[in-house]
Amino acid sequence: MSGNDFFALTPLLLLAGSSVLIMLLIAIKLSHRVIQLSSLFLFAVAFSSLFFIQKLLPYHIEPLLIMDGFSVFIMGLIIFSSLVVNILSYIYFEEKEDSPKEYYVLLFLCTLGACVLAVSKHFISLFLGLEILTVGLYALIAYLRERHHNIEAGIKYLVLAAFSSAFLLFGMALIYLQTGSMEFSMIARSLTSLQSLSPLFLTGLGMMLVGVGFKLAVVPFHMWTADVYQGAPAPVTAFIATASKGGVFAVLFRFFIMIDGFRFKVVMLILIGIAIASMIIGNLLAVQQKNVKRILAYSSIAHLGYLLVAFMPGSMMSIKAVSFYLIAYFMTTLTAFGIVTILSNKETDAEDIESYKALFWQHPVLACIFSSSLLSLAGIPLTVGFVGKFYILAAGLQAGLWVTALILVISSVIGLYYYLRIITIMFAGQKSILSEEKKANPFFYRVSIIALSVLTLLIIWLGVYPSVVISFMEYFRLK
Amino acid sequence: MDSVFYIAAFVTVISTIMVITRHNPVHALLYLVISLLSLSMIFFLLGAPFAALLEIIIYAGAIMVLFIFVIMLLNLGKETAKQEKEWLKPKVWIGPAILSAILFAELFYLIAIAHAASYNLQTVNPKAVALSLFRPYLIGVELAAMLLMAGVVGAAHIGQHKKMVLHRFLKEEDDTL
Repeated sequence: MSGNDFFALTPLLLLAGSSVLIMLLIAIKLSHRVIQLSSLFLFAVAFSSLFFIQKLLPYHIEPLLIMDGFSVFIMGLIIFSSLVVNILSYIYFEEKEDSPKEYYVLLFLCTLGACVLAVSKHFISLFLGLEILTVGLYALIAYLRERHHNIEAGIKYLVLAAFSSAFLLFGMALIYLQTGSMEFSMIARSLTSLQSLSPLFLTGLGMMLVGVGFKLAVVPFHMWTADVYQGAPAPVTAFIATASKGGVFAVLFRFFIMIDGFRFKVVMLILIGIAIASMIIGNLLAVQQKNVKRILAYSSIAHLGYLLVAFMPGSMMSIKAVSFYLIAYFMTTLTAFGIVTILSNKETDAEDIESYKALFWQHPVLACIFSSSLLSLAGIPLTVGFVGKFYILAAGLQAGLWVTALILVISSVIGLYYYLRIITIMFAGQKSILSEEKKANPFFYRVSIIALSVLTLLIIWLGVYPSVVISFMEYFRLK
Repeated sequence: MDSVFYIAAFVTVISTIMVITRHNPVHALLYLVISLLSLSMIFFLLGAPFAALLEIIIYAGAIMVLFIFVIMLLNLGKETAKQEKEWLKPKVWIGPAILSAILFAELFYLIAIAHAASYNLQTVNPKAVALSLFRPYLIGVELAAMLLMAGVVGAAHIGQHKKMVLHRFLKEEDDTL
């Protein structure tokens, strides 16, 4: 490996090194506060290192990794969301867990895994990144061992993720058997002359889609989502919803664009089916829910369906649409789960919809932040969610995907119902049932609220002036 | 040569089916060892003797011995001796023994015939494995290290537990000591 290789790898090296460093800090018995602040600092360093490698792009580290505009962008999103999760974690874990420190080691490792996914162009790095991410998540989901829900969610995730990894590996093996390579570009080369796919390759691709579909929680592989979202600690849920899905989606997108999988009819039909089913079923299942975490889980299924609509054209437009929608989805989801985290108390998470009753009259700031993030999830104009959905529709219609675009619009209308229901509950009534308890850590409580307010301002600002980010995305190339 | 492969594959499938249908974990583990041994035989036939050896050393050797020890240790109690006698009944070990005898006969046959190269394969020797691991796939090896670290840290957290206090009076007694 040359010096340039090391330079290009800086963000990943920093993340990996940070996890070891935090482990050493734990070994010398520093307090939770010191460890939280130092990991916050290390996340910020890793994030800023992304700006320094800009001038090197695009850079290939043969044969496993590729650093280009898109992958650095996705890495930025992932590290940023881990940073926000890290800020929110202190108040959440401080009062609930005796040993909250290993959490930060695992958070770094999961972030590393998601980032490796974002930069991989080879099945080996794909699989290793995915495994680092999921093995870390097993422990993070079951982190609060006293709670039965947590353990249950951890076991569910363990079984299903191991199962889906087996599918993914078998699919990779079949594709390797057919094409003789595990590198995306070599697979693409062996496919260029083909007009239709051989059954063996198609089976392999289908199995890979099953494996990846489990991780992305798209219908029909969505069964675990609601239970795991509900059972996991709220900051971890935010991480699963954003960083883990973003990384997996990025690598899937790169794979399909590189092998140009969109010209095969069968593959397109499968993808359209998954997208339509995710949009409709995700939104319909959310309507009946009384639990905010479950509502957000089902809404995330629907949002992945929307993302697939932008994914399918495989054009330049769809790279932009996917990138922008990922920004929108990350910011709004982080904000929504951030509110759930802040309102959680020692015994339970604030997941019952009734506990949000009359929140506005007690915590007007929190209620406003939550409302704006829900409106952005619903795709109301002047929020970033609207612009994201607009781009998805534009990308879909440009490619002539009328049916999926129509279903996207209809299911968004269904989605509006349950988002608005939460908002009306926050403004209804006079007396909040959340007790006005004294927060144990007023400093971190305030820092968390400030972080969420900044995110909210970004949601609105990007909803009004999206061109700032869009112009930046013009240069993304995936081939 | 083909028949050797099919016999080994047959042994693999049979023993794996036996693993997932046994009620007693120790019986299942015995079959799992056979399954791993026959897998390593298949690796050997495919021209990867190094992978075959690793399969035996790491899986059938280290990990399985660990499993069997843990499971035997977990069963400590008054019934243990009786139980172990039950485990040693011929009914239990005759199946795995037959399967491993088949594998052994295959191995013996393969060593006995001199012209083994009826498959047109190139052999992957340890040097080739080492070179590819530490040259192009070095990042992969490092990532695998991080993967192990995630597993160990997670298991250490979930596995650790506070000292259990059975009753508050007992706890008080404990304090006075």
